[in-house]
Amino acid sequence: MVEKKEIEHLGDLVKVELKDPEKYIKQVEQIIHYFDRLDTVEFNSDDTLRREVDAENLRDDKYEPYGMSLIDHLNKDQNNFIRAPKMV
Amino acid sequence: MNLGISATEFVSQAKEGAISVEEFIAKTLERIKQVEDKVHAFITVDSQNALAKAKDIDKKIRSKEKIGSCFGMPVSIKDNICAAGLKTTCASKMLENFVAPYDATVISRLKNEDAIIIGKVNLDEFAMGSTTEFSYFGTSRNPWNPQYVPGGSSGGSGVSVSALECVASLGSDTGGSVRSPASFCSVVGLKPTYGLISRYGLVSYANSIEQIGPMARTVEDVAFLLNIISGHDSHDNTTINNPQVDYLKDLKSGISGKKIGIISQMIGEGIDKEVASATNMAISKLQDLGAECIPISLDAVEHSVAAYYTIASAEASSNLSRYDNLRYGFNFGTEGYEFKAYVAKARSNFGPEVTRRMLLGAYVLSAGYYGKYYLKAQKVRAMIKAQLDEAFKKVDFLISPTMPILPFKIGEKIDDPLKLYLTDINTVTANLSGIPAISVPFAISSSGLPIGIQLFANSFEENKLLQAAYVLQETTDLPEVPL
Repeated sequence: MVEKKEIEHLGDLVKVELKDPEKYIKQVEQIIHYFDRLDTVEFNSDDTLRREVDAENLRDDKYEPYGMSLIDHLNKDQNNFIRAPKMV
Repeated sequence: MNLGISATEFVSQAKEGAISVEEFIAKTLERIKQVEDKVHAFITVDSQNALAKAKDIDKKIRSKEKIGSCFGMPVSIKDNICAAGLKTTCASKMLENFVAPYDATVISRLKNEDAIIIGKVNLDEFAMGSTTEFSYFGTSRNPWNPQYVPGGSSGGSGVSVSALECVASLGSDTGGSVRSPASFCSVVGLKPTYGLISRYGLVSYANSIEQIGPMARTVEDVAFLLNIISGHDSHDNTTINNPQVDYLKDLKSGISGKKIGIISQMIGEGIDKEVASATNMAISKLQDLGAECIPISLDAVEHSVAAYYTIASAEASSNLSRYDNLRYGFNFGTEGYEFKAYVAKARSNFGPEVTRRMLLGAYVLSAGYYGKYYLKAQKVRAMIKAQLDEAFKKVDFLISPTMPILPFKIGEKIDDPLKLYLTDINTVTANLSGIPAISVPFAISSSGLPIGIQLFANSFEENKLLQAAYVLQETTDLPEVPL
């Protein structure tokens, strides 16, 4: 059973103000109920699918300066500052 | 001028000077203007740049300068792939003003070969959906009957190729998003092996399963595009550094002596009668051409949709947490808001499906449920891969209908998300396991709607897969789109 309180908590976790939490209760519950069928699977292995990549094949961790075009695309004021709300 | 020619025909005609690239692009733009009201494939059309580039290519052809292998071919791009200077909206209000500052690797590779990016096409918001009904910019419509869905999430790609608004398109496939619209719009669509094509510049939704895939009118065209966009990329560490393959070279090798497994779980209960009969017809035609077809049971497929939506939602929930509307986003001032309230308010502009998936993702990852859902889904994934490995010891290919049902009416399933999820039963297996799969147009139903057949091969066997798909394509003679 998924309750309104739980949906609101999930909304809080994903940082979304839910306009109509009631709308999601039934749907999320129905889908989670469908996911419950994973309980019926009989596994004969604990394997999960993983791919290993050797550290030497990763690209070098080196500084690459960003171009001005990245700055041009930002929501910024005349002084090139990004305005964020108060943290309180 | 025939806008319905294939990419390979376009290239050979442009090379010989039989068509002017500028004229072809102009006619394509005219066609877009003419049919967009009916099908709504595009979010952005880049007319000016496309025409300028076409003029430039014509000049190069006349003066016999070196030209890339696409010769100015018009290509549409799903609007979750970044092309510098163009908006990349992901069909979301959250990114309605976002202009990509750089080219995705697939885009720079296409541009290096002188393809023309004619525009950015519609999708379900952030590629979450299978009909394009979840686009912030409105649904795309099926060119075969505009009252019906075109499939999705790469619906704009499927529609634009089918409605002759471009020669080819790139989509992305996380759970069937290239193959579903390919099947519903009667075009060819390939989900390549995980790691074959760079995802650099593709807006992330579920990184461990998604791939960019080509969509076009013929199997040859898909092979042609794959030659250009596949290969290792230092910007995407999941790409594999295999030797480059020419997918066009042995395309016509035939299928004689090959073994095909018919996936029992994908052709049984719940499947539309006409889809089943088309699949049986495809199997019998492949047998006539020398393939041996045997039934193969993959019982893990029964759990694939639950595993897929658990994993996809979990990854979506994590990926989409980056959108706080501060550095980029839609116009919404911060005045009078406390930080958390602002972000939550801004993020309430995600559409219903994206919100649902973020909630589901948070649920399956939350303390106490991780082992019950996410971990089990990962184990199902390994189980599917193990069963496929066994199957490919016995057969070269697997076959199924791409979609278990025919295209359905717009609005018919939009209020029942689970019902929509279940239509992905035949496609998610390739994503969970990483293997390649292709949808080939095969039949038109009695109601005039397309039916596609899906073929799978083992990882990095696109060469073989395209050969089989070519054989299947050559067994059909389908009518032109009635638009």
